[in-house]
Amino acid sequence: MLKNYFKIAIKVLGRRKFFTAISLFGISFTLMILMIATAFFESELGNDAPLKNRDYLVYVPMVSISKDYQDTIIQVDTHFIDNIAKYDTTLSFEPAGRSMSRSSPSYTFLRNNLSDIPFVDKMSIFSRGVSYDIFINSKKVNFGAVFVDENYWDIYNFTFIDGQAFGKTAIDNQEQVAIISKKASLDYFGTVENVIDKEVMLDGKHYTVKGVIDSGISSASEINAEIYLPYTHVKPSDLKDKSFLGSFAAIFLAKDKKSVQKIKNEINQKEKRIEIPTDLYDYDKIDIEVMTFFERYAKGIISSDKPEESFRILFGVILFFLLLFFLLPTLNLININVSRILERSSEIGVRKAFGANSQNILLQFIFENIILTFIGGVLGFLFALIVIYLVNDSQILGDTTLHFNYKVSIYSFFLCLIFGIVSGYIPAWRMSRVHIVNALKQNQL
Amino acid sequence: MIKLNNVNKIYKTKSVETLALNNINLNINEGEFLSIMGPSGCGKSTLLNIMGLIDEPSQGEVSISGYRIDDYTGKSVAKFRNEHLGFIFQSFHLINDLSVIDNVELPLLYRKVSSKMRRQLAEEALIKVGLKNRMKHFPSQLSGGQKQRVAIARAIVGKPNIILADEPTGNLDSAMGNEVMDILLGLNQEEKTTIVMVTHDELMAKKTNRLIRLFDGSQVQ
Repeated sequence: MLKNYFKIAIKVLGRRKFFTAISLFGISFTLMILMIATAFFESELGNDAPLKNRDYLVYVPMVSISKDYQDTIIQVDTHFIDNIAKYDTTLSFEPAGRSMSRSSPSYTFLRNNLSDIPFVDKMSIFSRGVSYDIFINSKKVNFGAVFVDENYWDIYNFTFIDGQAFGKTAIDNQEQVAIISKKASLDYFGTVENVIDKEVMLDGKHYTVKGVIDSGISSASEINAEIYLPYTHVKPSDLKDKSFLGSFAAIFLAKDKKSVQKIKNEINQKEKRIEIPTDLYDYDKIDIEVMTFFERYAKGIISSDKPEESFRILFGVILFFLLLFFLLPTLNLININVSRILERSSEIGVRKAFGANSQNILLQFIFENIILTFIGGVLGFLFALIVIYLVNDSQILGDTTLHFNYKVSIYSFFLCLIFGIVSGYIPAWRMSRVHIVNALKQNQL
Repeated sequence: MIKLNNVNKIYKTKSVETLALNNINLNINEGEFLSIMGPSGCGKSTLLNIMGLIDEPSQGEVSISGYRIDDYTGKSVAKFRNEHLGFIFQSFHLINDLSVIDNVELPLLYRKVSSKMRRQLAEEALIKVGLKNRMKHFPSQLSGGQKQRVAIARAIVGKPNIILADEPTGNLDSAMGNEVMDILLGLNQEEKTTIVMVTHDELMAKKTNRLIRLFDGSQVQ
């Protein structure tokens, strides 16, 4: 039966070439955009290396300390009772503002306060935001650096092209070792082969390359840096500084998915117990910003007091635009399909007269529409590959590199299927309910 | 075989009610070849459609082979049509996008029949109507007579016990019309298929076992 439907679908598509071309253009363009969007989200938020533990991660990127000020308002009412002045004094308090400092936490703060959180499998403290200008053959190249501890390599599972991560001993001994990204290796050495144990010079210091990793594809700065160094190479004062604010961040790997929320709760509880040293700060409240991978990403785009809220807003906005982008061509395709199917009412009459029930007709037209959508999907796929190549080549998205992997292909397949079913269902449903006698009166087949 | 009791068909619009069939009582026996005649608009095709379960009477009862039809929209009536009824239309109603053999296979698509068996049955039906050598052709490549023979092959491929033909020779010249009529007569005589045929042609009607005439929706003969 499907072979028969397929044959007729291909014939019908060839019959009205102009309509088919318009439909295919709409479908392929829509699917191309959706595929590129999928590739973008997969690159940014997918759980490919080094983000295989994505759903188990909890971040503490920022800490704020604050104090609320109040104004005291004194109101004095004067009354004369029996020519004697009487005074009624009212004191009221109103919020007068907040003084706040917000920054990345310091190493000492994280080590002293957050290194004993339960439900955590591993914790890593790292520092980012430092970059080095390097001149290679009189060309300036900028290397972003991240200072990491030994757990960092267990939490983020980078793919090592060559060599391996440095361990605790190298960190404790302040060995001048480095892990470099593939891009950095190509920039610095012109190759990724045989660079292990070669030296990279940063800011006058020589670091021995111990590993070359495949660059992270997400734009998250701590996984797409060019060079990774032991955290013991930050300024010594940064490690000893007793203040709460500094230049580090912490990442926790939860033991299991359920532990993610538990870790967040534990940290929220912990912040209430932390005493703020009065000799350092004139603040009385501390707020540790704790968030999941997705919440952190959303907060980077939509600033809000609560990371959960940022995530909800961003998710809502993305969903709204995706729906809008999906809905408009779907409505258009429904319209084209209605006129396309109306032309075939006589065929529907014949099929019904010979035993097809409404469900058979419905399935036939949905199947035909899915075929059309899949042809559009293949075209969209080709267009998407071209656009992705152009986007990556022009580096229009900065550090983010779009990849069209098997997961994006599977998502795209389902997108085609959903698009085909949604845009085909309404016209097919309408026609499946057409009365046989009326359908047969239309002579064209 | 086909039993119609007090069948009325009324077409209603906002302002007018038209009585298309008026109190029709009809008994068609198994193996009978019945022709229906009457002027245009007298209700012949409506009567045929009601017998073919593709239209619903406004009043009255229809039963075919003891099966009384109450629901005209469900799966069971579609299944019944598929297994017991074959249709031949004046304007052939072949699907131009499908080849001759695919057109003939169509009723079998809605049965649990393997594609190999479908092909075999469709070939047998085309042999019966003398069109085996036109299997791969498309309807647009055939003459009117050939198209109607394909339509007959499609009507008989599922081996129905009733064939309903609505002016099957109406669009054909007399030679082609006779060819088609000979095939129908052969089916009736050799395979004992019950045939009900609407026609305007007295000569064709005379070849059948019984003739009824309609006038303004009523049976007059």
